[in-house]
Amino acid sequence: MKKLIAPLLIGAALSSAFGADDSLKQEIEALKVQMAELKNAQSKINIDALKAQVSEIKAHDAGDNIKWTVDFRTAYDVVDYKLNNAPDQDNGIWTNKLILGMASQPADNLVFRGSLGAYKAFGQNNMESSSMFQSFDWFGTQKPSDSTIKLREAYFIYTGNMGDVPYAASFGRRPSVDGFLANLRNDNESPASPTSHNINMEFDGASFKFDIDKVTGISGMYLKLCLGRGFSETTGSYSMNSSGGFSPSYSDDGETPDMDLVGLIWQIYDNGQYKVMANYFQAWNVMDINPITYGGTGNIVFSDVGDLTGGSLGLQVNGIGDGISDFLDDSVFFLSYAFSKTDPNDVSKVWPTGYNGMLGSNDSETGSSIFTGVQVPGIMKGQRLGVEYNHGSKYWRSFTYGEDTLVGSKLAARGDAYELYYILPIVGKNLTAQLSYIYIDYDYTGSDTFFGWTGTPQDVDTVTGAVKTAQNVRASLRYRY
Amino acid sequence: MKKVFGLLVSAFLVLGMMSTSAFADAAKGQKYYLKYMKDGSGMNGAKFATQHTQAEWKTLFDGKGEKFIAEYSKKFPGLDAFLKGEKFEKFMPDIRDFCIEFASDSGNVPSC
Repeated sequence: MKKLIAPLLIGAALSSAFGADDSLKQEIEALKVQMAELKNAQSKINIDALKAQVSEIKAHDAGDNIKWTVDFRTAYDVVDYKLNNAPDQDNGIWTNKLILGMASQPADNLVFRGSLGAYKAFGQNNMESSSMFQSFDWFGTQKPSDSTIKLREAYFIYTGNMGDVPYAASFGRRPSVDGFLANLRNDNESPASPTSHNINMEFDGASFKFDIDKVTGISGMYLKLCLGRGFSETTGSYSMNSSGGFSPSYSDDGETPDMDLVGLIWQIYDNGQYKVMANYFQAWNVMDINPITYGGTGNIVFSDVGDLTGGSLGLQVNGIGDGISDFLDDSVFFLSYAFSKTDPNDVSKVWPTGYNGMLGSNDSETGSSIFTGVQVPGIMKGQRLGVEYNHGSKYWRSFTYGEDTLVGSKLAARGDAYELYYILPIVGKNLTAQLSYIYIDYDYTGSDTFFGWTGTPQDVDTVTGAVKTAQNVRASLRYRY
Repeated sequence: MKKVFGLLVSAFLVLGMMSTSAFADAAKGQKYYLKYMKDGSGMNGAKFATQHTQAEWKTLFDGKGEKFIAEYSKKFPGLDAFLKGEKFEKFMPDIRDFCIEFASDSGNVPSC
């Protein structure tokens, strides 16, 4: 039996081996055919055409969506005040500030940009109970309050050409904080629209820009007409009238007039190194708290106190000299002058004595301010050190309510203000740290208030409780992408 | 409050010593473009950068930017002296970053 089984098994094994060999050969032949086909197909592929196609797809996809950016900062601020004939005050405040930027470009001549912001003090959600001006529209995302997300910017830009003059028309909530010069201390590469020396606040409006460098032959010259409304007179919907009924929706409230501004920004020259910017504006119906309603009812109502004119002229040198040294090539210097002039209404027949006019005066008053600074390379590559100084006169008034400071606008100061800051990149420009110190030495009160009686300049040495000096130290970490 | 601030300042100083940040700067590149190249090219920086895709700019700026120099010296003779000079060699990394940052397929949206 065993003798029979053994040869049978060997035969079966051999036949199986010969079968496997045939199958392997067939598979190899099939693979060879496939390889030949692949080589043939590969030789027909146009790599350049594919690259071009990929680029085309990338370009299309890159512009086919809303681009989001994140700008997030955690900061610790120390504020310190020396008061006249009153105890000093100081505090330490942790804050989180988030700005979500968005942009899209559906066509070559049409762009949308916007940003949403929330700036909050740690653990705070009812700051309005201690300050009725906390949610004011002029600095909604620039002063810490609660975690409410607010509209910071939203505007579209339509561009075209009128012969050799490219133009841009834009409507919406303006890119009006952190403008020219403030962008240095705020470590923002591109300044927003206005000159920050006299305008740095959030508002809605429009702008019309005309690039006239080609027709004038002057590098970088442009004119930009800006329109803004800083306050809308309206009752809103479902407001109650004095007889207990509803007022017609969005009708005049009869108290606070529309506050409007027309301004002209003139970039006189910009060759990348030297930049000269000027602006001139006229604001109508600027306001202050109506002392009669304030005293009579406890409710604050704003009233028109007059008009305000202002202007500025600034020079920025981005790179001192030309090739003298790397340090000077990478240094920035600026100098700016600004003025303001009031045109008060005659409200003396209506308002009590002491509350009339603008900035405490029934006459037209002119104020002025100078602002200068340098920003130089720091110790390590990419680090920046900045020093700034400004001085404002007795009747100086700016629209800088949106300045990124906790002690109030340093550029609004009627007195002297100094700032020292140091910026260091940790992960390139995506994560940076900044340490800054502001010292304001006031000559007069009312620096950063409204335009009527609350802005009355009084000698800080004669008013009990007046802030004589203010300090703001800030250490922050900022993520951007 | 003073302790908190002291700690933060100390952390800041340590970060300052630790941070390593050797990088080219697109913003500086934009400045150099405006200063040295805008007049020669006759177009603003945004338009200039959108002439090529990011991949194309990278190829043009390969090495010492020989391909870029060759193309743009020919295209804009007014740029010839700058592109073949020492300043371009020095500023090239920043100009390269600027071109890539605002290339036609960068998805970057120009501001007003």
